[in-house]
Parts: sequence; C-alpha cells; structure tokens
Amino acid sequence: MQMTAKAWAKVALLLAPGLGLILALIGTVIYMAVTQSFGYYNLSGESVFSLEHWAEMLDRRLYFRSVQYSLYIGVLSAVFSVALAYPLAIWLRKPFAGSMLIGTLLKAPLLVPGLVAAFLFINVIAYHGIVNQLMEALGIWDGPRRLQNDRYGIAVLILQTWKNMPFALLLLTGAVQGISDDVLDAARDMGAGSFTRFRKIIAPLSLSAMQAALVIIFIGALADFSFQVIAGPTNRQSMSQLMIYFQGHGRWHDAAVVGVTLMVLALIGSAVLAVLARLLVRGERVR
Amino acid sequence: MSQQRLNDILLFALLAVCVVWLVIPFGMAILWSLVDPAAPWTADRLLPPALSFSRWIDMWQNSSLKAALINSYTQAPLAAALSLSLAFPTAYALGRIRFPGREIAKLLVLLPLVVPSYVTAVFFSSLLFQLGLTGWKFGAIVFAHAVLFLPYSIRILIVSFEQVRDDHIEAARDLGAVFWRRWYVAYLPALRPGIFAATLIVFIKSIEMFAIAFIVGSPDIVMIPSLLFASLGQDYVRPNAAVLSLILVVPNILLMLFLERLLKSANPSLSSGKG
Repeated sequence: MQMTAKAWAKVALLLAPGLGLILALIGTVIYMAVTQSFGYYNLSGESVFSLEHWAEMLDRRLYFRSVQYSLYIGVLSAVFSVALAYPLAIWLRKPFAGSMLIGTLLKAPLLVPGLVAAFLFINVIAYHGIVNQLMEALGIWDGPRRLQNDRYGIAVLILQTWKNMPFALLLLTGAVQGISDDVLDAARDMGAGSFTRFRKIIAPLSLSAMQAALVIIFIGALADFSFQVIAGPTNRQSMSQLMIYFQGHGRWHDAAVVGVTLMVLALIGSAVLAVLARLLVRGERVR
Repeated sequence: MSQQRLNDILLFALLAVCVVWLVIPFGMAILWSLVDPAAPWTADRLLPPALSFSRWIDMWQNSSLKAALINSYTQAPLAAALSLSLAFPTAYALGRIRFPGREIAKLLVLLPLVVPSYVTAVFFSSLLFQLGLTGWKFGAIVFAHAVLFLPYSIRILIVSFEQVRDDHIEAARDLGAVFWRRWYVAYLPALRPGIFAATLIVFIKSIEMFAIAFIVGSPDIVMIPSLLFASLGQDYVRPNAAVLSLILVVPNILLMLFLERLLKSANPSLSSGKG
C-alpha cells in the first residue's frame, strides 16, 4: 500500500478532529495524572519533582485497603457476569418460541443508567423494603435486617452483575451463535456431554468475546464510584471514591497517586484476566 | 425430556426471574413516586394507602429539577451534534481510505472507553483549573462528553461509510454530479441511518453520564444524574429519588427502543434505493 505525502497529509487532516482529539484529551488526562502524582502542576505551591506523595500514600493502610477492595469488586463482578451470561447465551443460541422476549428482558438493564439501578436496588433491599417484608412474612427472619451497605460489598456485587451481565450476554451471544452446528453435532456424535462440549468447543471458540467481556466489565467495576457510595460498605472505600475524596479536599497530588494506581491496575488486571482466561480454555482444548 | 419441553420449563422459570429482575424494582419505584405525603407508606402495608402526583408536582415546583432538565436536555444535543461533526472526517478516513495503520487507528479510537471515566473526569477538571477555564463549566461538559463518546459515533459512522457503494458514486460522477451533489445522492442515503444512530446514542449516553457532570459541573451546574445522586445521598427522600429515577430512565428507554429499530432498519442498500 504505497501512499504519497499528499495522501498521508489528507489522512492526517481527516483523523485530526476525531482520533486526534481523543489522543489529545486522553493523553493530556494521563499526563496530568502522572505528573501531578510526582508533584508537578501544583495548584497551591511550587511545582517540583517529588516522590513524597507516592511514599506517603504507600505508607497508608487506607490506600491498600482501597486497592484490595476495588480489585475484589472488579474481579468478582467480571467473573460473576460472564459465568451467568454463558449458560444463557448457549441456551439462546438457537431461536425458539419466546427466545426473543427472553433475550430482550435479560438485556433490559443495559438501558438503565447506573444511578437508577442503584436506586432501584436499595429500594428493594431497604430496611422496610420488599425483601425484608417478604422474609418476615415467610417467618424466616424475626425482624427487618440491614441489607444496604453490607460489610462484604455483596450489594455492590449484585448491582454490578445486574448491570453488566447483559453486556457479557450481548458479546457472548454473538460469539456462540457463530459456532456451526456441524462442529457441535460431531462432538455429540463422538459421545461428548454438554459440559465437555462447553469446555472443549464452545469456550475456545468464544474466547475473544469472553476476554472482551471480562476486561471491559473488570475496568468498569474496578473504577466504580456510584454503586459503592450508594450501596457499598461504609468502612471501605473504592479507589475512585478515595480519588474523588482527595480531589474534593483539594489534595490533587494524592488524588493523582490513586488515579495512576487505578489506571495501572486496570491495565495489569485486564492483561492478567485475558491471559488467565486463555490459559484456562487452552488447557481444556482437544489435543 | 424433549428439548421443547425443557425450553418451556426454562422459559417460565426465566420469566419468573425476570419479574424479580425488572418488574419488582420498577414497580416499587413507580409506587414510591406516587406515595401521597398525607398517607405515608409504612412497613406493615404491602401497597401505599393512597396514591397521588403530589411528589411529582412538589419536585417540579420546589427543587432544582427544572434547571437540571434544562441543563441536561441542552448539553446532550449539543454534545451529540459536536461529537458527530468531529467524528465525520475521521470516520470517512477510516471507512473509505486504505492506509497502513488503519486497524491500529480503529483500536485507538476506543481509548476513552478503556480509561476509567472518573479518572478522566478528575484530571480533565484539573486541566481546566490549570488553564483557568473553570468559568466555562457548561462548555467543558459538552466538549468532554463529545470527545468521550467519539468512539460510538466514529465506529457507527465507519460502518456506514464502508457501506456506501462505489458504483453509486461513479454513476453520479458519470452523470456530471458536482462534489456536493455526489454527497447528496450517493453518500447521504447510506449514511443517514448511521447519522441518526450515532446522534441518538451520544445523546442518550450524554444524558445519563454522571462522572463529568458531577466532577466538572458541581456545584454550579445541576444535571439530572447529579441531582439524582444528591437525592440518593445526603438528601435521601425515597419518593423524590423515585421521581428522579423515572425521569432519567423512561425517556432513555424509549429512545433506546427507537435506536434499536433504527439500527435494525439501517440497511444501506435499502436506504439508497438499490438492491
């Protein structure tokens, strides 16, 4: 593909308003975060290179608890969403009476903004909400229990799965529908049961969609703020919550340290999840 | 057990799950938004004792709802129009011109979706501070939304541009059509569904985007998501939060359903009138 300088100039000019602006904005955001974490762009004093903000942060228990908690929410949300979406995607692979309706209902949470989802959920699990009323009516619980802001972030995990499972389903349905019947029939003829067909054919052939779903859900849940603030444990802070707390108090350098950690963890965590998924599936592939 | 019977059982089981999944949460929100303040809905009652639109009227008259609606429904179309204008040349290059690195460029377009939105929001606001542009919050929100949602508009328009038929362009040229006329007769029919879809998706995403509105806009500019967030936090009054949730979600669902129909009908060969 030979291109003249004029043709390159034309392509560059055309890319500038779209891709150029994306690179400029996201590049500047990353640059600001990294440089502020090292003491530059100080809004209230001298801007000099300093490792002080990192050293102070790495000395804080709050920071490590926040990293640990965000990783816990990120990984489990991604795994739960994909694990729930797989059987549904396989079930909906071939159309049958009512499959369209089911697919639409399952994907409906995609249309619900995160904050609304959080409200709907806390409304259901509230102290005087329908779950407590039901458990009391059935005689399982003596009185209402506090379900919101639970200690282990279970409410946040349920919310993340509710919101993200449809996204995983969307990606996996496309991938699973692309697998030909001949391959699955051949495996069935050779005596492979449902689980073996999943491990040795469906999972390897839908690996890219699984990796994409895992990575995108992981990044979103790792950086969660609104679900955590509304429904999460009050004695834990997610990384976004910590970053916004520092930013709200004018501590930009501390916010930058948390922001950079968040981006690095998003990158490393995504790579680890994608590689693990591949290793797991490859280990099961027919040799 | 036959496959058909198994499907029927699973279908009913899943419909029951969907009731828990959707009907109960939304039903509760609708009921709470209609609770009459004069007759509170106490824990010992399964349904509210009296229903009225008092909360809706009260929110309309005595909260920042009007300002939030004006702000949200002004910034979203502006962000959609800006995003579309910025996306157009890039989508043309990526959809119509073959050049080395095109696939990498298509991947780089997705960058705003990979960087956590709260990190973008916090350091975009830091950038505004550094540039002394904190007085331009509304414009900053529109600009940030337009750029952050460029991945959607560019990727949708790339598909549209790829489907413009070369023989239509050549036929128009052979018939002596000038540049603008060629755009009108050969490009526009194939691009139209993509233009609508991209505009609509940026509009919807922009209305519901909380991170930028909250970090960059607060406390001067109130938008629907930031008002809802406040109503779920320090100002938590359940019926008011229910009203705001429904105001945020119902138009979005209707627009999304319209979008899905639009994308399904986005067959460029049909829209260009040729098979």
